[in-house]
Amino acid sequence: MSLLLNLWTILAVSLGVFFFLAGTLGLLRFPDVFTRLHALTKADNLGLGLVVLGLLPQMNSIHAMLKLLLIWLLVLFSGAIVSQMLAQAVRSGKLD
Amino acid sequence: MTHVLTRFVLFALLWLVLMPSLVWYDLLIGLLAVLAATWVSLRLLPPTQGSIGLLALLMLMPRFVWQSVMAGWEVAWRAFHPNMPLAPGFITYPTALEPGLARNTFTTLTSLLPGSLPCEHTRGGIVYHVLDIHQAHLEQLAREEQRLADVLPTARHRP
Repeated sequence: MSLLLNLWTILAVSLGVFFFLAGTLGLLRFPDVFTRLHALTKADNLGLGLVVLGLLPQMNSIHAMLKLLLIWLLVLFSGAIVSQMLAQAVRSGKLD
Repeated sequence: MTHVLTRFVLFALLWLVLMPSLVWYDLLIGLLAVLAATWVSLRLLPPTQGSIGLLALLMLMPRFVWQSVMAGWEVAWRAFHPNMPLAPGFITYPTALEPGLARNTFTTLTSLLPGSLPCEHTRGGIVYHVLDIHQAHLEQLAREEQRLADVLPTARHRP
């Protein structure tokens, strides 16, 4: 059982790292602020989600699990909100 | 009053997740923090017409998460692809949603859709930046709006 859980952790965290890598690659390769915002918010959200899901079975209390999930939700929502605020600022010419 | 109480209880639960201690001085600090959070939330988001029910939000959650999976996958594919297939551009989605809470919820939910990023509210609707202008983004946004309107009956100001 714990072998299975460990395998799950390795798989999910590795996948998460893959998406963080994708987000960073997009940040470096994509041509402008808007496309880079896509890369950062979307790929990193998913990467963090997978890392959190992977770490869940390694936690030793329900409370620690809830905390992890809460971190993910907060990052998910702040990413969703901050990305549109940044895009709005760029479009209105307040940022370059 | 029920709004205030609901928010207070939610913030209290949040505090207990962050600080799982039942010692009296921890609870005292928690009470102060929860009162402050409730006050701030009531100032920033007054419980007026068309506030969104917790249940409605929870019903939207699975979709929100699934879309963020698809969106992450889509952007990762473009970032890794040697030719980097991008056809970025702006589209305007003429929404029927009430400005304010309903529309803001919609932009937040759709900011995680694959390939689209809301970036401006204009008189003509919401302007989205999209990674591929040839995809059927407007149709997808219409579907999302319908879903939101289903759980939020007061959201629309015209049929």
